[in-house]
Parts: sequence; structure tokens; C-alpha cells
Amino acid sequence: MSFIELNNVSFTYSPGTPNEIKAVKNLSLSIEEGDFVALVGHNGSGKSTVAKLINGLLIPQKGKITVDGMDTTDKDSLFDIRKNVGVVFQNPDNQMVATIIEDDVAFGPENLGLEPSEIRSRVDWALKSVDMYEYREGAPFRLSGGQKQRIAIAGVLAIKPRAMILDESTSMLDPIGKKEIMDIVLKLNREEKMTVIMITHFMDEAALADKIFVMDDGELIRSGGKEVLNDPLLESRGLAAPPACSIAKKLRSSGMPIGEVYTPDELVEEICRLL
Amino acid sequence: MRDVSMGQYYPTKSVIHRMDARAKLVFVIAYIVLLFFIPTVDNFLNKGGRLGEYLVRASCAYAVVIVFLIVAILFSRVPILKVLKSVRAVIFLVIFTAVIMLLFYSGKATHVYWQYGILKISLEGIISAATMALRLFLLVMGPSILTHTTTPVELTDGLERLLKPLSYIKVPVHDIAIIMSIALRLIPTLIEETDKIKNAQKARCADFDSGNIFKRAKAMIPILVPLLISSFRRADDLAYAMDSRCYRGAKGRTRMKIMKFGLRDLFGLLLIVAVFFAVLMFAYNYFGVATVITEWAYTLL
Repeated sequence: MSFIELNNVSFTYSPGTPNEIKAVKNLSLSIEEGDFVALVGHNGSGKSTVAKLINGLLIPQKGKITVDGMDTTDKDSLFDIRKNVGVVFQNPDNQMVATIIEDDVAFGPENLGLEPSEIRSRVDWALKSVDMYEYREGAPFRLSGGQKQRIAIAGVLAIKPRAMILDESTSMLDPIGKKEIMDIVLKLNREEKMTVIMITHFMDEAALADKIFVMDDGELIRSGGKEVLNDPLLESRGLAAPPACSIAKKLRSSGMPIGEVYTPDELVEEICRLL
Repeated sequence: MRDVSMGQYYPTKSVIHRMDARAKLVFVIAYIVLLFFIPTVDNFLNKGGRLGEYLVRASCAYAVVIVFLIVAILFSRVPILKVLKSVRAVIFLVIFTAVIMLLFYSGKATHVYWQYGILKISLEGIISAATMALRLFLLVMGPSILTHTTTPVELTDGLERLLKPLSYIKVPVHDIAIIMSIALRLIPTLIEETDKIKNAQKARCADFDSGNIFKRAKAMIPILVPLLISSFRRADDLAYAMDSRCYRGAKGRTRMKIMKFGLRDLFGLLLIVAVFFAVLMFAYNYFGVATVITEWAYTLL
């Protein structure tokens, strides 16, 4: 059994009313521990709903979701599921609970009922991992968007989950803020072996993942390794391949023997190899 | 932009800043109670006391309180002007109360200077108005030391822990505390949001600054409606974020920062007990202290 498993899951917002929205339709996917997974799709494709489903914030009307063997429909195991899977949401301002940074990061471990000394050491560790330790006694609202989002990540890290879902966590940030977040997430995945589920509509971010799921209109339309990004079906659904891919494609069509690349770094390496 | 959520907090390092928030809250309550133990002039005269005696007792009692307050301010290392500024907010109330007290004084009055119907000005009325004004000023200044030396977060935390026994009779102490702390946390965010909406409406030629008060109030509606809607959305998001961070109310929750009742709190406690005792001694003539001072004052005059 995989770490996270979705089996024929369907979810509808306000079912039976005129506002009914079928957000997720018959979705099945599985994620292994230690994976770096990207879930891509347009706005309204249902990808954010998936984040809330995995965390047990929403309960599917049909199908079954298990996290480490625990079912999200079982109310008693929700606490343990959330201990294992943390979510970083889109708007950093809407995730902060306390007026002081370290108090906010401590919120999660406090809920776990840990000893004060253990909470302190986790908070310090989490803040150091996102490189915000020196700001710990300040107020979050003076920080930049990227810094606020790093605090939000620290808040999830302090719970020490095995998986982290980033629900469009970079979409409100400027390019520098985006890069900061991506660097931290990559480091966590590589060094701490944390499972990362990156929900995004930026294909260049998805290119960093090992495994990619593509959603459209509540359904899973493609899944697989990075080669999925070059799939013509995605192009026809308006999900253009990352810039590095399209540049490589153009270079290839003009006669340069460029291999498969997905990120700017890989493209640079490939071009340098040819020079 | 000033950090509104920090309230009046004056960041510096002092003994009083480091005191336990719970202790400070208790001290402030004790201080307020103490102020009400000093009798008013009509009350004292009704019990058959003499005016001269009252003056001596009250001035001694108030002097003790004022000295205590000054000592507390000096220890807190908050500039005295800052504390005095907090009185500004109530100055109108104080003047209003004093004038009413002066004109409508209804207790025993031996020295009446002026009378018109039920309005009169008497010596007792003047003393009553003056002590009332002094009491109100002291009443505001004491708690203002608390708010200058304690962050709102520490205050809500202290309050939660202080009120904890109430949770046994099903008062949702923890929920009240978390609501308060989230409200504090959202103040700057909502101010920012209001500015944004206001600018967006201005960009579409909304006019907030002209017309009479009703027109201006009406012009606020296009700000308030989006603000309200976005607050609900924020609340939703925040609830999801809190849930996903394993929040389940007070159940099984521990805290990172432990509050410890330390030596400095004990010192504060002893001091306030001493002040309490001194004030009562003067105000109620314990051990005949007030009598001795009164006699001494009479011989001096």
C-alpha cells in the first residue's frame, strides 16, 4: 500500500443546491513516501480540493482516501493524519494565528501536546530550516510575502509531518519569493526525505518534481514522469510546457541536438555541452 | 505604519516588563480595589467624621498611592510622559464628572459659597470633586502601566491562565482567549485590506471626503461590504489552516512559553500588600495612626 492513496474519489461542493460544483471526479492516484510530486492544472481544475481531501479538511462523498493506511472518513484518525500531512496554503496572511512569529510556529506543536522544551527546540529547528531564525521575536505583518510564506512552512515543519502539501503556495509571491520557497522545498525533499506534493499551475515549478499528475475539470488526464510536460494533450488544454522545454524544442527543430530538458539549469548544461 | 496590534506596549527591558502577566493582572485588580477603599467625603461625614480629619486621612492615603504609582513607573522604565498621555483619553470624562460632582453635591455641607435651586458650590463639594478627579486619574494610570509593559499576547495568555478555573464550570476560557488573540492578529491585516479597498474605490472615482456626515457614512458602504466578504473568506481559510495544524481546541494542548511566578512577582506582591495595608491604615484609622497625624496637623496649624 502506498503512503497516500486516493481511490475513485469524488467530491462535490454544496451538493443538491444550485451552487453545486463537481470539483473532483473519480480520481485515483497514489503517492509513495519520499516522492516529490507535482499536481498541475488550471484554476478550478479541482487540484486545491485534492489538497484538502488528503488532509481530511474535506471528506469525499464517494471513494476512499488513505494516508499511511488511515482512512480520512474516520474522525478519530484525523488528528494522526494531520500529524503526518501538513498543508501550506496560498495566502500566507490567512494562515497566521499569532502576532509573534515564534508563537505562530509553535501553534502546531502546542496542539500536539508536547513538552515546552520540545516545542522550543522544534520551533528553533523549523525557523532555522527556513532561514528565518533571527526574525523569531518580530511580528509577521512587516515581512515580505516570501518571508511570510517561509514562516507558514516553518509552522507546518514544526509538526514534523512526513508529507507536506503546498497548495499554490508560491502563486502570490514575486519571482524571488518563489525561488526561496522552491529552494527550501527541494532541500526538505532531498535532505529530510520529506514527501512533497506541490500543487501549482506554473509548469516550470512542476518541472522540478519527479512525478507529475495533471488535472483538468476534476479529472486526472495524465500522470507520469517529467516527459508528461511535453505531452501535446497538455498544450491543447492550455497548459503550455515549461519555457525550458519549449526553448529546447525550438533549438532542436533548428537542428541542434539538444536532449530532454525540463528546467533552466538542465537547458544551460545541455547547451554548454554542445559548445 | 505603527503596529496597532502591539497596542500601547513600550518595548524596553525592566523588572516590570519581565513580571508574570498573571501577577501584573492581579496587581492591577488589587490596585483598583484599593482605590475604592478610600472613603468619599460625604460617606465619611455621614458617619460623623470631621472634615479636617477627612482631609488628613484622604491626603495621606492618596499620597501613598501616588508614591507607589511613581515608583512603579520608575521601575517600568516607561517615560512618565507616556503614562500621563494615557490620561488624555479620559480628561473630558474627568472634567465632566468633577463639574457634576461639584454642582450636585448633596451630602452634609457646612461651608456653602453659592446656591441656585438645587445647584450649589460648597467646600465639601469642591473636596468631593477634587478627590473624584484624582481617583479617576489614578484609576486610568495604574492599568496603563500594565498595558505599557505587557504585550497584548502576554495579556490574553495571562488572562486565559488566570481564568482557567472557570473552565471547570464550562466557561470556554480557551476559546475566548484564542478569539482575542486572532482578533489582535487580524487588526493590521484588516487595516491593510481597508486601505486597499479604499484606494480601489477611489480609483473608480468614489468620494469619501465631501458632503455631510450622512453622505460620508453612506460612502463607506462600498468599503464595508467588500471588507466584510473578504473577512469571511479569510476566516474560512484560517479555519482550514488551523485544522490542518492539528488544532482541536484546548484538548491536549500545551504551551511553549511557560509562565513562572518568580521572585520579582513575589516582591511585587509584598509591595502591593504593604501599600494596601498603609492605605487602609490611613483611611480607616488602624492603630490610631490617622488620629495621631490629625492631632499633629492641628497643632501645627
